[in-house]
Amino acid sequence: MVDSLFLGIAVLTIVSAIAALEMRSLVYGGIALMGTLGGIAGFFILLDSPFVALFQIAVYVGSIAVLILFTIMLVKRELIFQKKEDTKRRYAGIGLMLIVMISLGAIVFNSGISSITTEEPAVDYREIGEDFLIYYWPALVAMALVLAGSVTGAMILARRHDEVEDEQRTD
Amino acid sequence: MSVIAPKFRLGYLIKGLTDNIFWIIVILTLVGLPVVQIVLIYIDFPIIDGEIWNPFRVLDAMTHPERALPLVKSFMQTDFFKVAAFPGFGFAALIAAATIFVERKLLAKLQLRVGPFYCGKVEGILQLMADGLKLISKEIIIPAKADKPLFWAAPVLFAATAGAFVALIPVAPGWVVADIDLGLLAVFAVIGFFPIITIVSAWSANSKFPFIGGIRALYQMVSFEIPLILSLLGIVMLTGTLNLVEIVESQASFPWIIFMPIGAIVFFICILAELERIPFDLPEAESEIVAGWLTEFSGMMYGLVQLGSYLKLYAFAALFVVLFLGGWNGPWFYPMEPIAEVITDGVVLMPGALTLEIEGGLLFSQEMINGLIWFVLKTVGVILVILIPRGVFPRIRIDLLLQIGWYKLIMLAFVNIFIALALVYSGIIGPGGIL
Repeated sequence: MVDSLFLGIAVLTIVSAIAALEMRSLVYGGIALMGTLGGIAGFFILLDSPFVALFQIAVYVGSIAVLILFTIMLVKRELIFQKKEDTKRRYAGIGLMLIVMISLGAIVFNSGISSITTEEPAVDYREIGEDFLIYYWPALVAMALVLAGSVTGAMILARRHDEVEDEQRTD
Repeated sequence: MSVIAPKFRLGYLIKGLTDNIFWIIVILTLVGLPVVQIVLIYIDFPIIDGEIWNPFRVLDAMTHPERALPLVKSFMQTDFFKVAAFPGFGFAALIAAATIFVERKLLAKLQLRVGPFYCGKVEGILQLMADGLKLISKEIIIPAKADKPLFWAAPVLFAATAGAFVALIPVAPGWVVADIDLGLLAVFAVIGFFPIITIVSAWSANSKFPFIGGIRALYQMVSFEIPLILSLLGIVMLTGTLNLVEIVESQASFPWIIFMPIGAIVFFICILAELERIPFDLPEAESEIVAGWLTEFSGMMYGLVQLGSYLKLYAFAALFVVLFLGGWNGPWFYPMEPIAEVITDGVVLMPGALTLEIEGGLLFSQEMINGLIWFVLKTVGVILVILIPRGVFPRIRIDLLLQIGWYKLIMLAFVNIFIALALVYSGIIGPGGIL
């Protein structure tokens, strides 16, 4: 069951990743990218970490893919997409991809990762939270500062400039 | 001779009726019975008293209520029943249908109109059924230059995503379709799909009004998702869990709205914006852009989108109840224990002829009925509060909308988080607190 699920998700992820690159229609490419990201979320669920999987869906599928779709729809297609076929480049790309995949695969298979067996239960998200508060607190503080800075920045950007607004107001 | 059917003849009517009866009998015998038998082959029958139940014994048992009730009970515990009927789709669709009717009537009364009136004699009670029949029988028209696969997929995806949202809502103790540990996160993940479906359907129609509506919907949903998520973090801090059932159980003595009114208000405004309801109905502003991103939908495709959006309305109202109003918790007004006579004597169905003695009481436990009544009462109340602004407020401008979303609501959500933090660190409530 798990094996067939893994195969199915792997096929979905890889096929939609290729489709995301090769599709002529940019919107379909964006949707295929969503398929890829969703497939990765599926892998996380298979790996017993639903917390990461749900965040993957909420952040990548729900926000990043939306931003990409949004950008695609607002930009004129002719400006960013030129029909320039270059067979040399294409074959070079395929060759490069094969080299990278083979070398990565060799590293993974030789690392002994496939023979690891563990009886430990999946990590609870509460434990992650406790670790963050106790052991990794500097990282937590740094993240909090970055987030607070970005939220403050967003608020400043979103603030209305009332002096300009008053001139434009018609009522 | 009536005006409606000038060529009416009783003989034709009888012939038509008998024809229909003939064909119904033929189709039932030739198709229905084999289908029933094929289905019965694939059903796993329970083993009761050491014997496997076959279809014949099931049919036999169905004739007597005392033997049929345990079967019905066991069927009600199956996943299929939960998904299709009670806490899942059927229940939510029923509430959604009632919401549509109540909304039309309520809005009409608010605007000194009559509203649906003629269909079904009593206050137009069958109007919804008539609308449904009309939508089903209408032709589905697809714009010539539309992107057909996406255009077809969008309404189905919309209704399916709303259904997934409904599945996460706990309705009564032990009655939830998907009781997952990370329920609230799953809600966030599901909500994230709505803007995608909206913008894809708007783009695929290849028409101006849907596209403008879709872009507006995208702006609005993305900007209000952030305060929506932030406003719920306070509850997660106080309860220390993301499981919706545990969040409801944590409110046995008081609902969270007492301690986090600001969070509740922010969440409620975000609900209005996510549901595209007035005053935030810019994506389907009917006086400016026809029907917004729904413009090109016709027939049952439009019906599916409407069904999905009302399912979403129910789910958001139920989420508000679950998170802030204590879910199914409430004073007992239903008898706590089964009535004593039921335990000793059973239920008398036909005096002198048929008495039922049922182990474990009737179909539902008392706790579940009491909880369900409270849940439905609260949900209906929240739905009414969501509906009423439609008769009161005008539509707001998009720059004001974005400013509210990105500026004021995020600020208020942070205030709410700091209130929750203060409550936790002062040791009043939260994990290991006084209350």
